[in-house]
Amino acid sequence: MRQKNPFLYYGGKVLSFAVSLFLLSLAAFYVARLAPGDPLVSYYGDRAEKMTVQEREQAEARLGLDRPVHVQYIRWLEGAVRGDFGISYKYRTEALSVIAARLPNTLILGGIGFLLIFTGALALGAICAWNEGNLLDRFICKAGTVVSCIPEFWMSLVLILIFSVHLRWLPSSGAYTIGGGGIANRAVHLVLPLTVTVAGHLWYYAYMIRNRLLEEIRADYVLLARAKGLGRRKVLFRHCLRSVLPTYLSLMAISVPHILGGTYIVETVFSYPGIGTLSYESARYQDYNLLMLLCILSGGLVILCNILAQIVSERIDPRMRSGETPEVTDHG
Amino acid sequence: MDERFVLVGARTPQPPPPKELPWHRGKPVLAMAGLLVIVTGCLCCELFIPRDPAYMDLVHAMEAPGPDFWFGADTMGRDIFSMIWHGGRASLLIGFFATAISTALAVLFGTVSGLSPRWLDELLMRLTEIFLSIPSLLLIVLLQAILGKPDVLSLSVVIGVTGWTSVARVVRSEVRRLRSSEYVLAAQCMGAGFFHVLRRHLAPNFFSSIMFMVVMNVRSAIASESTLSFMGLGLPLEVISWGSMLSLAEKALLSGAWWIILIPGAFLVVTLLCLTSVGNWLRGGGDQRGSNL
Amino acid sequence: MPEILLDIQHLTHDFRLGRKRTVRAVDDVSFQMQKGEIFGLVGESGSGKSTVAKCVMSILSPSAGKIRYLGVNICDPGQFRSHRKLLQTSRQMIFQDSTSSLNPRMTVAAIISEPLEIHHIRPPRGSLREEAAFQLKCVGLDPGCLDRRPPELSGGQRQRVAIARALSMSPELLVADEPIASLDVSIQAQIINLFRHLQREHGFTFLFIAHDLAVVRYLCDRVGVMLGGKLVEEAPSGELFANPLHPYTQALLSAIPVPDPCRERARTPVIFDSAQFDREGVLTEVLPGHRVLRKGAAS
Repeated sequence: MRQKNPFLYYGGKVLSFAVSLFLLSLAAFYVARLAPGDPLVSYYGDRAEKMTVQEREQAEARLGLDRPVHVQYIRWLEGAVRGDFGISYKYRTEALSVIAARLPNTLILGGIGFLLIFTGALALGAICAWNEGNLLDRFICKAGTVVSCIPEFWMSLVLILIFSVHLRWLPSSGAYTIGGGGIANRAVHLVLPLTVTVAGHLWYYAYMIRNRLLEEIRADYVLLARAKGLGRRKVLFRHCLRSVLPTYLSLMAISVPHILGGTYIVETVFSYPGIGTLSYESARYQDYNLLMLLCILSGGLVILCNILAQIVSERIDPRMRSGETPEVTDHG
Repeated sequence: MDERFVLVGARTPQPPPPKELPWHRGKPVLAMAGLLVIVTGCLCCELFIPRDPAYMDLVHAMEAPGPDFWFGADTMGRDIFSMIWHGGRASLLIGFFATAISTALAVLFGTVSGLSPRWLDELLMRLTEIFLSIPSLLLIVLLQAILGKPDVLSLSVVIGVTGWTSVARVVRSEVRRLRSSEYVLAAQCMGAGFFHVLRRHLAPNFFSSIMFMVVMNVRSAIASESTLSFMGLGLPLEVISWGSMLSLAEKALLSGAWWIILIPGAFLVVTLLCLTSVGNWLRGGGDQRGSNL
Repeated sequence: MPEILLDIQHLTHDFRLGRKRTVRAVDDVSFQMQKGEIFGLVGESGSGKSTVAKCVMSILSPSAGKIRYLGVNICDPGQFRSHRKLLQTSRQMIFQDSTSSLNPRMTVAAIISEPLEIHHIRPPRGSLREEAAFQLKCVGLDPGCLDRRPPELSGGQRQRVAIARALSMSPELLVADEPIASLDVSIQAQIINLFRHLQREHGFTFLFIAHDLAVVRYLCDRVGVMLGGKLVEEAPSGELFANPLHPYTQALLSAIPVPDPCRERARTPVIFDSAQFDREGVLTEVLPGHRVLRKGAAS
């Protein structure tokens, strides 16, 4: 097979990323504008309803909302390329700075959650595969299935009910106490949201690891390794886990946005000031510029992770590489 | 018959019939029974619920579970026991409708993509990816805004339209795999038309692999309904469903009225759990070969 | 003069690989098949035997050339359409790998009666099931297999089911693409005998593709040898084995093992390298019914 020029290869990936991002922004822009609703309400609050027709027109002209949609889109695009994403109607500051203020909170929650899920799933899956079919494995499988069935918002409610309302051990909302804000304080606020985030996703990935490992230990090379005298532990960890890891890595790359998306609900229930609560508000109140930026941010993350996963799997498995498939010539 | 081509061992006696296993072996009997009770209970709730689920008895608001209100009363004095059975209808209906919509979309999209030439297939898959990259929360809010005031049908459409991609992918890859298989080729050689191939060869094969996903879609549609209604994006308070009942949770938390949160939620979780075990059973048992480890 | 069933003229097929490259799998192949004969097509892997078979079955449409079946040009979409029913019922194919050519989800009864069902033919023996049982008996299988599914059968049994399926339409032309290549040697012998027996009984015309010369010699009336997409020699079976003219055929015949170790060791095999053989020239009739690819010897 012809080896592709790495420059062309990565150039193509970057290009497809850019095109996807452009299409995404176009789609999001039109969908948001098509939705009925009044963006002036989020800018002027209740005052918007009492405006005269003339005042409305002036206000719309000031925000650029009186132009046709495609003109609005081109203006937005021009600004976006220069790094100017417009102002948030609700917060009346630059959309970028509104997000910048909230982003670290989400990154902390999502990042720690992701790490815990990543390592936890690997460990749990390996434990189950090691103990296949015995009491521990069956218990973990049952418990995992039950936990994965609980909707995240309800799990949050129950945890708040137990730990905040009844036991009063942990705070029920926010990212830190207003006024004070040490690391310990932040950590205490993180416990419940983090628990829900991890519990909501952990079993899905752990179960996948378990099943892949169970497939793997039925392969003939395991028999060979065992016959050669290698210990069970070494076979499982050195051989089986290693061959499962690549697919797991690319799966986890795809799952980054999935897990971050899961934090939206958790953030809303715990009133955690992150991107999730922000995008919920902006979608509800037609805060167009903020909405677009959030869309680009999260959609871009999805596309980026997909491309990363593709690269990972293509690096590992050359068969996945798209291109010629010379099936016919390799006879004889 | 010519002696020379009699197959050696062709007349082997039939293998003895496998030992009769107890009928419930390997079937999720408990889950099926639970599902049956919940579904019939919700459908025939008029027969046994003690109160009108929509009647607000403000005198008894927030009453704890007792002989009068078996599961307690909510913040507006409605009887939770009656509401659960009545509200289950909306939740189950949404789960059913949304899955029907998403499955139809998925099978359509998957077969078209699977049967189309490579470039079109690639284009369609790219479009799916972009569709997936629009945050679903945003999509749901916007769709909801376009469809107007949320009711059972519009919420089903919203959930169905946003949840078809995973099944579509499975259908597509199955169709692609089967399309090049030799028995489909053999059938085409015999002169089978497209619909014969679809009915006899394609559908039975991908049916079993999407059955599991379809049941799981029912599950996630019900979960989505409750989540959306809880967040105030789904059904309003007047339309009783498990989700809209739980949207009272914030008030309940402040006053410590646990029954408003725990009891409807427990019903929800039990339903989801039953669906999951039925789904897992449909997916079929694991590998029967022994471990080499 | 016996009636000619299949007439292949200047058949050529190119496979496209990507945008620019093409591979010529079949290159200007012509031969005829008479009604009721067994024609063997041999050659190494990649010599284009299967492509010829697929063109004959209209699975592939050739890039150039004509295939006439009972006077119908099957490469012409218009003629194909107007004779579709005839073409689809009277030509049947048996594939190499019976694991993949039988749907693992269908029972043997359903598989065998599938062609009848497709063409809505009323089964001659009452019900579809009885018809399937009859066909099964014809190929030497117990009717107890009717309700089994292909994965429960052995390789030989599966191939018998595939044969029964093809025969259920009582075809004029049967095309078998290496039907014995994936079987054990002892089973191969059974299947070959079965083919001989069935052909005598039903009298169908049989295009048999193989790479095993000994089998072809035993089974076929006439043999064609293919090399790199070209037909290099074509002769009656006895004639070809007694008097091979093309160097490639000679090389092939010399590679047939002799079941005697002393004589096998004493033989000097002809050098076998497919690249060195000449593929240029025109198929010329040197003896009655014996044609060889020769350079510049236009008839």
